[in-house]
Amino acid sequence: MKNLLRSPALYIAIAVVVVAALLPLWLDGYILGILTVAYYFGVFSMAWDLLFGFAGEVNFGPTFLIGLGAYTAAILDNQFGPPIFVCVLAGAAVAVLGGLLLAVPALRLSGPYFGLVTLVAVLLLQNAIVIFAHWTGGEIGMTVPDVLSIDAGVNYWYALGFLVLCAVLLFGLSRSAVGLILQASGQDRIEAQALGFNVTKHKIAAFCISALFSGVAGAMLIFYMGTASVGTVIDISVGVQVIIAAVLGGRRTILGAALGSIFLILATEFLRPLGQLNTFVVSAVALAVILFFPDGLLGYVLRAGERE
Amino acid sequence: MSGPVRLSVENLTKRYGGLIAVKNVSLELRAGEILGLIGPNGSGKSTVMKLMMGIEPVSGGTIRLGDADVTQWPSHRVARAGVGIVFQHSRPLHRQTVLENIKLALLPDSLIRLFADRDVDARARAIADRVGLSAVVNRHPSTLPFADLRRMEMAKAIARDPQVVLVDEPFAGLTLSEVAAFSDLIRGFRDEGRAVLLVDHNVKSVAALVDRVFAMYLGERIAEGTADEVMQDATVRRVYLGGEIAASHKRAQAATDKPPLLKVEDVSVFYGKAQALDKVSLNVGQGEFVSIVGLNGAGKTTLFNAMSGLVPYSGKIEFGGQDLSRLTAGGIARHGLVQCPEGRELFGDLSVEENLDLGGQHLTAARRREQLSWLLEMFPILRERRAQAARTLSGGEQQMLAIARALMMDPKLLILDEPTLGLAPVILEQLGRALEKLRETSPITVVLGEQNVTFALPHADRVYVLEHARIVWEGDPPRFAKEMGSGYL
Amino acid sequence: MVYLQILIDGFAISSLYALGAMGFTLIFGVSGVLNLSHGGIMAIAAVIGWLAAGDLGLGVYLGTLVGVIAGLIASYVTYFVVILPIQRSKAIPRDETEIFILTGTLLWGIMIQVGLAYLFTDNPVTMRPLLDGVTFIAGVRTPKNEIMIAVICWIVIGLLWLLVNKTPAGKRLLAASINPRGLTLLGFDLSRIYFFVWGIYGVLAGVAGVLLASFLGVSSASAGQLTASAFSIVVLGGLGSVSGSLVAAYVVGYLETITAYLIAPTLRPIPALLLLVLVIYVRPQGILGRR
Repeated sequence: MKNLLRSPALYIAIAVVVVAALLPLWLDGYILGILTVAYYFGVFSMAWDLLFGFAGEVNFGPTFLIGLGAYTAAILDNQFGPPIFVCVLAGAAVAVLGGLLLAVPALRLSGPYFGLVTLVAVLLLQNAIVIFAHWTGGEIGMTVPDVLSIDAGVNYWYALGFLVLCAVLLFGLSRSAVGLILQASGQDRIEAQALGFNVTKHKIAAFCISALFSGVAGAMLIFYMGTASVGTVIDISVGVQVIIAAVLGGRRTILGAALGSIFLILATEFLRPLGQLNTFVVSAVALAVILFFPDGLLGYVLRAGERE
Repeated sequence: MSGPVRLSVENLTKRYGGLIAVKNVSLELRAGEILGLIGPNGSGKSTVMKLMMGIEPVSGGTIRLGDADVTQWPSHRVARAGVGIVFQHSRPLHRQTVLENIKLALLPDSLIRLFADRDVDARARAIADRVGLSAVVNRHPSTLPFADLRRMEMAKAIARDPQVVLVDEPFAGLTLSEVAAFSDLIRGFRDEGRAVLLVDHNVKSVAALVDRVFAMYLGERIAEGTADEVMQDATVRRVYLGGEIAASHKRAQAATDKPPLLKVEDVSVFYGKAQALDKVSLNVGQGEFVSIVGLNGAGKTTLFNAMSGLVPYSGKIEFGGQDLSRLTAGGIARHGLVQCPEGRELFGDLSVEENLDLGGQHLTAARRREQLSWLLEMFPILRERRAQAARTLSGGEQQMLAIARALMMDPKLLILDEPTLGLAPVILEQLGRALEKLRETSPITVVLGEQNVTFALPHADRVYVLEHARIVWEGDPPRFAKEMGSGYL
Repeated sequence: MVYLQILIDGFAISSLYALGAMGFTLIFGVSGVLNLSHGGIMAIAAVIGWLAAGDLGLGVYLGTLVGVIAGLIASYVTYFVVILPIQRSKAIPRDETEIFILTGTLLWGIMIQVGLAYLFTDNPVTMRPLLDGVTFIAGVRTPKNEIMIAVICWIVIGLLWLLVNKTPAGKRLLAASINPRGLTLLGFDLSRIYFFVWGIYGVLAGVAGVLLASFLGVSSASAGQLTASAFSIVVLGGLGSVSGSLVAAYVVGYLETITAYLIAPTLRPIPALLLLVLVIYVRPQGILGRR
């Protein structure tokens, strides 16, 4: 704790948050909107990093968990109209259930098999949405009657506040004793067990935590945008974006994932004049990063101590 | 003085499909005593350790920790009940410091305790101090030398003050002075009243440290007693040496004025931090049969892999005047230096004939047919089984297939790595006869790596002894029998 | 009547699936790579082939050939630009190589998809049929093209079988998938083997892509779906087992066709996905998988 209060990084982080909070005073609604979405994506990526970086499980379909949270909230709101936070809670609950469903094969399969399971989960969800179009709006999507706010600035602050809260929680978790155990569980199962840790218990917990944050963020994104569709919260390309952001920012840093997301979304927006090509450029840059800087932006800085 | 029994196993059995790795093993670990569990590769000693720790499920028998029956317990429960294990290969968390690695060992298995107890830091430092790591507690494992990584493993194992400590091959890769320091540490564990199990290949290297020895072979107990008793035991000697060392009459040695066919100069190999070969130099002349003798873990396979271009090394290896570092592994084999590896590396799903055929791919069709018929004559059992899938063959047949396949390449120099591993004596005789015939009918040069000295000696023109990554002796078989014979074990 | 139609249509689509899936699993078995840009390579072959046949006026047959060559080139580019650098990279820890390859090929697949849409079109392209006209099989009206496609698929499958089982080069591929180290010890450089297998893969994916364009039409957007169905089939059949992929392709092809005809066209991919989930839980190594 003392180390933390003395570290300059903490004060840099606080400064960044303060500046971010003041941005609505200068920027217009359009850019604020982009940043708002970026912040929610930041939470998606941080939740992914917790699972990958800490529990060692590669989830190729993070949008399975995000989509479950988002659509549950959206459907609930459309059908019964309870207050937003109830819908979000419901979304979170269903997402956690989804996380448990994924955890089961994860504990029995290894290597590429588990990755494939996660991809299949997304495909199934996608197809389910399309089949039950009556409830979900199918491929076109659905609108939700409630939104968090109609003011761009207020929405922005909701998103920023949510991001900071999740960052603090997830980062804190990653640095805690539990985080250390998770890292050990993910890196070397046999050693972790020989040291007296029930790896199964910890991995399931990691899945549930990742699912919780993904589900809540997914639901909140819906209530920001006012719509839910396959293309925004379920499609594989969205999942890829989440993963790329975490890898770009630096695996196993949590905060790097958030930075990576913001960077990625801003970059895509910045390249919008290129039309369709912006996805191409961003993907190409991401591929280059993977090839040449696999540790990512933040990872490179933070890992200095580990190298000789 | 040894105290009460802390951990005992009774009729412990472990089966992997059809293979029985451990058969009816019963032993006791007593407080204040170091028990050495000795055996060659494949003897089951590491499996016994894993079973005790709950890493693998037991097929039969019981394990008791104190009064409790822990046979079915998962390993984290066994660990919490007071058993610590030091694995053969270090397993650090690379992204954490040494101190954090040790702290991990002190944490409770809880999902909700986010912060470690106040005293964890102090306790971790004390443990680091005890094993000699205080200078490096804030460094990351990748920056540490090999011996310190091993110290860290010890620290993790004793962190929670276990009653029983299991140590797997602690001295592999250490220098002599480090071995002494580690021995002191392990003695310290014993003197604190813990029960210590030490697993190793070699009685000689742990004789000074252990109080009692339990020797295993092919999953079973073959001897038990003090270190001296076990080293003199007839069965143990047979298993390790293969029987009486008799150097037979040797044919005229190959002319020594010709430059050597294979020249190995100051070759060193590191696996990460562990040194597997330490400035090894040797020569093999054209037409010679050279045996490289050494126990498991001495470095024979590493040496052969360096020759075959499969591991990076420092130093120089020349074959027929050619520097091998310029060639790819495939290129080296095509050049005439062919290895028949310890694991045989057969293509299990392909037939005997297809395996042999692949060996002959670099020859002309006519030459291939010639080689094939020559080999099928030398190994008639392969002719019988030519259409069968390689994995359906018995161990001895597979070994012959592996050798035959290597010979299909018409090599100038053939390396045989532990061909007798796990084979029954009658098969060894057949193998020996085949090697004799090979020497008589072709000018091939052979390098044989063996632990079984009885098998390695009769055919050899010269012998090298490899021990702990170094060549420690060189000479001809009669001198070997005289000088090394009794002290070898 | 419907049943006969299902039988015939199902056969054609299954044959196409088989071709694509066998290539996918061959690459995994020999090279250890799960190529998630598989659909992209097929799409490149389809689009280039269509371009060559139509805009460049080369006609259907030549256009098909050009398409296959495009697939071959795309396969090599994928190997040398994306996969080999990741495998050789010293900055990536050994145990994470697989993940990086999956992510890298996924990204590459997206790049192909967007690139194709931008440079050419994202509308579905349909090759003109290789054979015009229809014929009647036991009273069922079948386009001759469909039969031609099934025949070509089986010729290619047959050639593949001959290659792997009867030629020395093919036996080496088989050996490499069983024990790469053993092959090195016998004097073969694995890099040449990999070069060879990626070439075969390029041809298989190229033919599958072009024929699919002729049968159903392919768009740059379907690249993702093509990869998804290829790996579903491959996991079902057993990762690394070429014969498993063949069997699984027919299972999936017929399941889809039956669903489309008897239940609803929109539900087409569902039963196969459900079967996949079942297999993953019950028998993760697939129908004919080795591990």
